[in-house]
Amino acid sequence: MADNSHLVTQIRPCDAIPATARLALTLLVIVVSSLIPLEHWPAHGLLLVVVFAGLSLAGVTLGYLARRLMLFLPMLLVFGLSVPITQLHRESAWGWMVSLWLRCTISFLAGLWLIHVLPFPELLATLLRWRCPPLLVAMLAFMYRYIFILWDELARLRQAREARNFGSGSWRRDWVTNAQMIGLLLLRAMERAERTHQAMLARGWDGSPKFLGTEARKGE
Amino acid sequence: MHIRDGILSPEVCVVTGLISLAAVGYSLRKLRLDLEDRAVPLTGMLASVVFAGQMVNFPLIGLPVSGHLLGGVLAAVMLGPWAACLAITLVLVVQAVLFNDGGLLSLGANILNMGVVGAWGGYAIYTIIRKWLGNGTMTAIPAAVIAAWFSVLAAAALFCFEFGCSTGSQEFHLRGIFTLMVLYHALIGVGEALITGSVLSFVLSRRPDLISTPGAASPIANVSQFVMAGVVGGLAIAAILAPLKSDHPDGLDQVVQQTGMEARQIERDGLVFQGYELPLPSGFGWSTLATSLAGILGTLVVFGIAMGLGKGARWNLPVIESGEPHGR
Repeated sequence: MADNSHLVTQIRPCDAIPATARLALTLLVIVVSSLIPLEHWPAHGLLLVVVFAGLSLAGVTLGYLARRLMLFLPMLLVFGLSVPITQLHRESAWGWMVSLWLRCTISFLAGLWLIHVLPFPELLATLLRWRCPPLLVAMLAFMYRYIFILWDELARLRQAREARNFGSGSWRRDWVTNAQMIGLLLLRAMERAERTHQAMLARGWDGSPKFLGTEARKGE
Repeated sequence: MHIRDGILSPEVCVVTGLISLAAVGYSLRKLRLDLEDRAVPLTGMLASVVFAGQMVNFPLIGLPVSGHLLGGVLAAVMLGPWAACLAITLVLVVQAVLFNDGGLLSLGANILNMGVVGAWGGYAIYTIIRKWLGNGTMTAIPAAVIAAWFSVLAAAALFCFEFGCSTGSQEFHLRGIFTLMVLYHALIGVGEALITGSVLSFVLSRRPDLISTPGAASPIANVSQFVMAGVVGGLAIAAILAPLKSDHPDGLDQVVQQTGMEARQIERDGLVFQGYELPLPSGFGWSTLATSLAGILGTLVVFGIAMGLGKGARWNLPVIESGEPHGR
């Protein structure tokens, strides 16, 4: 499970910006980074500086950044390299590869900034304000509520498997056990969904999405 | 599988985003009719299961890496294509905004590749195979296995197409990278098919009533199913044929020159489908097929934009009052 300790609330300079602006800013950085041609590489550098500044203002530690980049960069390097390697005779492919690396890294860091400064409930409110269908937002909210519960459920299933499997499964057995784990999770979740649905009905749910403290109720 | 930001150009992101918007909007409308007030809990829960299921790593023999479930076809088999498309969309949104896995701008492309092709297309193939096999309970497993494999390959082919559009097909010839992509995804597809099949057989042994059985559908639904299955099948076949073609290097140089010449002749008019030709290997007969495929895709794009614009205004529909809600 992801380490969520960095999401602990504290007052940061980034919080002064409205949520909509945070989302728009991130998208802007991503679009701009992919529109800058390689000849203007100082602009890429400038964007990187801006994104790094944003990350440090958001309180992202260097260690965390390094860990995330370690997961991300190798994949990007391989993907970028595969273009020039398949067409060695083209000089422009190498430039294109460097440009791809820069674009992707900037976008990745910008996305990382966003997930640190935009809590999920705020994102849902923003989506509602942006005229996203309330039904979809309600599903997102529901999913956000249950992801962690199902994660714990999965952890329990895993623990039970470890306790019974004694660590030495053959390849085929591992495979079957894993599939059964997902199947069991699916069955339990579907039953849970039915129960939850009944509980929602018992509390007056009529199928229309409801949100606390947002403008969604304005239309009613 | 997730496309990162920066890989696709903004105009490709916008076009794929519009198509996905239309598809998600359509799924939402259909879902309201299908599931009524159960839509939110069931779809939200299904999305959570797919999300959690992707955390389970499956060992691959002799390889240091491991595979995991993608879930489009599994979700479609459980709750039908509309809920599945939405569930995959939700998973992708949460992965992008909560875990920075997959791009924000390329979310539309991801939804198109995995949600629309994976769930709608996969379900279309699943339905057709099940009808063909005779709709017994146990036919669900082979049908889902085949559909899962096809949907993964089709997604890979679609990604190649989007990537080709982003780089500008006249500048590079991306056969090599396509071959790699398709080979890699053929493996992933086998994994996905196996995982889907094993999970489904477990579910079938416990709760066969949970598996959706394609009933007698209207003629229009039948036609659209065939079209969707055709699109996915075509994409998958294109993906399979692409690496085969690149095994003929002597013809290749010629083709490179030819297409290079053609590309220079065609003016770059700012359209996404530059030269109206798919960036597939264009050998004998291929360029005709590629052009027609590009034509079909272009039509789909236009149709999608039209639908998205037309339906955008009507998304905030009141709840459909069909029958007496239990809660009153």
